Amino acid sequence: MAASESTIDTSDMIVCRDVHKWYGNFHALRGVTTTVRKREVVVVVGPSGSGKSTFIRTINRLEEHQRGDIIVDGIELSNDVRNIDAIRRDVGMVFQSFNLFPHLTAMDNITLAPMKVRKLPARQAEEIAEQLLERVGIAEQAGKYPGQLSGGQQQRVAIARALAMQPKIMLFDEPTSALDPEMIKEVLDVMRELAESGMTMVVVSHEIGFTREVADRVLMFDHGQIIEESATEEFFDNPKEDRTKLFLSQILA
Amino acid sequence: MASATDTPPGVVLPPPITERGGVGWAYANLFSNWYNTVLTFIYAALLGVALWFGLSWIVLEADWKVIATLGGRLIIGQYNTEFACPGQNCFWRPQASLLLVSVLLGMAWAVSGDKAAKRIAIGVAAITVAFAFLPYSMDQMGLDVRLLLAANVPAVAAGWVLARRTPLGTVRWIVMLGVLFFLVILVLIGGVPGVPGLQPVSTIYWGGLMLNLLLAVTGITLSLPIGIALALGRRSSLPLVKLLCVVFIEVMRGMPLITLLFMSQVLVPLAFPQDFSTNSLFRAGIILTLFSSAYMAENIRGGLQALHPGQVEAARALGLAGWQTTVLISLPQAIRNVIPAIVGQFISLFKDTLLVYIIGMLDVVEFSRAFIQGNAEYLASARELFLFLALVFWIFTYTMSYVSRRVEVHLRVGQR
Repeated sequence: MAASESTIDTSDMIVCRDVHKWYGNFHALRGVTTTVRKREVVVVVGPSGSGKSTFIRTINRLEEHQRGDIIVDGIELSNDVRNIDAIRRDVGMVFQSFNLFPHLTAMDNITLAPMKVRKLPARQAEEIAEQLLERVGIAEQAGKYPGQLSGGQQQRVAIARALAMQPKIMLFDEPTSALDPEMIKEVLDVMRELAESGMTMVVVSHEIGFTREVADRVLMFDHGQIIEESATEEFFDNPKEDRTKLFLSQILA
Repeated sequence: MASATDTPPGVVLPPPITERGGVGWAYANLFSNWYNTVLTFIYAALLGVALWFGLSWIVLEADWKVIATLGGRLIIGQYNTEFACPGQNCFWRPQASLLLVSVLLGMAWAVSGDKAAKRIAIGVAAITVAFAFLPYSMDQMGLDVRLLLAANVPAVAAGWVLARRTPLGTVRWIVMLGVLFFLVILVLIGGVPGVPGLQPVSTIYWGGLMLNLLLAVTGITLSLPIGIALALGRRSSLPLVKLLCVVFIEVMRGMPLITLLFMSQVLVPLAFPQDFSTNSLFRAGIILTLFSSAYMAENIRGGLQALHPGQVEAARALGLAGWQTTVLISLPQAIRNVIPAIVGQFISLFKDTLLVYIIGMLDVVEFSRAFIQGNAEYLASARELFLFLALVFWIFTYTMSYVSRRVEVHLRVGQR
């Protein structure tokens, strides 16, 4: 995107300090502390129910945290609605189940938020959408409805939809888990290209090849906590925690 | 049976004869085994007997004179009688109202891409013209009445031209004109004091099919938005709003419509200034609308419940505000998913309009019943009359469900 190559900005995009989250009595996040810097790609792994999805959903406040601080791009997440709206404009999200709007065409899915939230004129929003559909490789599908697209195509439209708001951060919540094997690659290719363009990304994923290639850092979640956090190579080649070793042995098997 | 092993690769064989055409259909549906065959013959015999006696009664015995005698009174009830409209002929007022409806139908035909609008517009024009040529004497059915009926053809045409040749040819304009025409029709039928030719006709004389249609149109157009508001209110996070909506819906749904109409005689007047509320039609309209809204609210709430929560999450994650998410994402999907239930409620409302006889209004069915009771020579004609009324109601309700099916087809484009 438009990120300039000359000055590599390493400021903190996401800062989490001692974040706690309860669902009723269930303690889902138990003191999560981490920092994601600009242009960094962080992959979150962990067994199911470990809180990794909850964690990334607190970053744009789809889930509310009850204790601790989350600061996204310098804005603290609080109950202040204006802050939440500001953060949601700057944070794009891609879901496991795509969540495209089935009553709108691919084009309308992408132009909706730029027109209604950023108040862009229709023509400008459509130009952006066309560029993005080109970028994710499905320019010819603009007029189709989600139900007429394959899973991989739907997820690429969903990525284009998130990018249309020109976010500073992209969150991916298991973006390839619901896809047939032959469609996973087309989505990962788009994400790889996005990472190369300098987007700050937090990805919940178990795609080891993608993670090794693209991630700067890996966070290992278990029981609502980050039990291991290290640079990608270090994480795979020299894990410290027994739980991490067990987990890696299971997903690499 | 064709043997699969002999089929060379790439050759597509036609399905066996039992899967194709009329023979295949009959075999699969009527004679697939011995008890289906037996049932087929039993039903064929029963159907034959019913048709034989039914049709022979309709063709040979039935005396349809009562319908001809009632004629236009089935449409307008007592509207054009000496007490309602003393010293004048007021028949042209409902007729002019019908012309306005024809104009709208013509516009809908021009704008809609679907054949349904065209068929309905042509159907209405054809039926009204047919009425213009009924073999009444000129004393019974004057030239003015016949001309105004025949004018529905040019009215449809005028609407069509209006929509095609002027900027009025958009859905938005048709909806706005629809509301405007509805108000004009109310004024036209109700009259304006002091205007010659438009002398006021008390609503107690509004009757016949016209009354059913006015109540149904009012109820349908108002109960949908009220129902949407109630459904959203019931899902609101504000406890007071939620409580009020729940109480309203449950009270309205919990009482029979007849009871509500009775109570409207007593309760609704309390909520309005004394001289304002003495109007049965107004009360009936309110009760029918609110009653229908409560059911509508639950239909729409059902549609909202069925939405995947990811839809709202995706909208919120994109930064859409709560109300934008509701208006742009949740409601369009919820409503389209419950169109059959919504139209079912419309049909039910239309049929419920005849319950206004409870508060003394002469809708088409009550007017017919009163006529038969008051005219002993027609006592034997009740069957013919009510069979005819059943057909009339069926034509209207079937048109509604036909339109809803066409709407569904259009909205389902590319879905799932």
